[in-house]
Amino acid sequence: MHERLSFYVKRDSFLHRLNPLTKLTLAFGLIFIAFFSPWYWAPQILFLLAIIPLSFLGKVHREYFSAAFRLILPAAGFLFLMQAFFQPIGAKAIFKFWFLDITPESLMFAFTNASRIFVMVSSFTILLLTTHPSDLMSDLTRRGLPSQFAYVIISTIQIIPQMQAKAQTIIAAQRSRGLDTQGSFLKRIGALVPLVGPLVFGSLVEVEERAIAIEARGFTSTRVKTSLREIPDTSFDKILRWFLILLIIAVIAARIWL
Amino acid sequence: MAIVNLKNVTYKYPLTDAPALSNINLEVKEGEFVAIIGPNGAGKSTLCYTLAGFIPHFFKGELEGKVEIAGVDLKSSALNEWVRNVGLAFQNPFNQISGAKYTVFEEIAFGLENQGVPRDEMNQRVEEALTMTGIRDLADRSPYSLSGGQQQRVALTSILVMQPKVLVLDEPTSQMDPIGTREVFGVIRQMAERGMTVVMAEHKIEWIAEFADRVVALKDGKILLQGSPSDVLTSRLLSENGFGISRYTSTAREALKHNLWPKHLHLPVTLQEAADGFGGKK
Repeated sequence: MHERLSFYVKRDSFLHRLNPLTKLTLAFGLIFIAFFSPWYWAPQILFLLAIIPLSFLGKVHREYFSAAFRLILPAAGFLFLMQAFFQPIGAKAIFKFWFLDITPESLMFAFTNASRIFVMVSSFTILLLTTHPSDLMSDLTRRGLPSQFAYVIISTIQIIPQMQAKAQTIIAAQRSRGLDTQGSFLKRIGALVPLVGPLVFGSLVEVEERAIAIEARGFTSTRVKTSLREIPDTSFDKILRWFLILLIIAVIAARIWL
Repeated sequence: MAIVNLKNVTYKYPLTDAPALSNINLEVKEGEFVAIIGPNGAGKSTLCYTLAGFIPHFFKGELEGKVEIAGVDLKSSALNEWVRNVGLAFQNPFNQISGAKYTVFEEIAFGLENQGVPRDEMNQRVEEALTMTGIRDLADRSPYSLSGGQQQRVALTSILVMQPKVLVLDEPTSQMDPIGTREVFGVIRQMAERGMTVVMAEHKIEWIAEFADRVVALKDGKILLQGSPSDVLTSRLLSENGFGISRYTSTAREALKHNLWPKHLHLPVTLQEAADGFGGKK
């Protein structure tokens, strides 16, 4: 059975060894610079000088490039087209199609925004590729994030494939009792109705049992929790985080005063 | 001194009139293995939830009488304190997986993390528990990729590792094959020998006869009879009240009518007892 439930790729690399909070700060730092830097070419330079080197540093460049070409680039490309056509700025159209027109200004605007989004999604992709979700959540919980919040995030990630499997089972059970799920679009939509009831109500019952199960294991215990996973936090991590925070402040300052 | 003390316990679920448990009196000694039997709807699960503190703290409803475990009164205790003394594993294994962990090893450590057990001790206790229930080889698998029986073992191990004083089990082997069931009953018996008190709702009468110290038969929320497994499980009251009984018992009872079962012998519940009785006749 396919056991992969997260993007995480287990490797031994510089990025994998960093503390999860450091990587999270790094991702947010890159996003901040991409969005708030006063320099026009910042997102593109970040991609070349930060995102690509980081993907190699984390030994996840193959996974990253595959995600970048198949998912991030098409999404950013779509955003670029939408903004280029619909942004009502600039007077002189360089391209006209029906009621849509592209001006040099809207083109620039669309390019910048698409690049920013590209950098944002890329930095999170690299974070998720090199950080196990459990490590990220245990580290944040240790630093004060409510454990209920961490639980909701992790269990949601895990529950989606389970819900899909359950939907398949319900459909198979109902088809074996004669429910017609083939045919026209409307007929297929209609076939969804008997699926929703069992799936939704079944899940509500499950939530109750799961609440009992985790409570029986002391989830709401008031003691200070410990973590099975050992999460490194070196002085290098701390220095790097402070450096990134100063960098973010510097970018905001430059934005205000430059 | 009994570790579990139930006095005149009556309980109604919210929005219902008929009590799910009525006037239950039950005492369980430390290290005793008590099995609860009864037809569907007899109140076995309700009794388990009451012992584990989820009634009344989670399900609300009306609880009368006194529930006391390890000297602590249920009504004056908070649920998150109560579960430290009483562990609960129930029937549906899938819903007992926390959903917060990616491997069986981490899943079993979940309760220990919540209790704030130091990492070294946690690793050692999880290792021991995995070895004891025979799922050492599943440690690195995802809990969701396991079969129902394997998940039930994980659920049981997750509770055993917390070393509760009282272990409450609601049909913990319902999805296991006979070999798995036997192993798990063996593990539970071993825990009882070490001083853990066990209360288990279960249908599998032959296993109960072999492993439990005492049997409590529930019917319509009341205790119908209780006593040693050989007395209770062969009682005529059981078949008259719609309980499932062992095929060896019913065979021997029929044989008794035709003088084929030795009169001085107790009716059998297990295969071994039946073989001894019928074999001795020859």
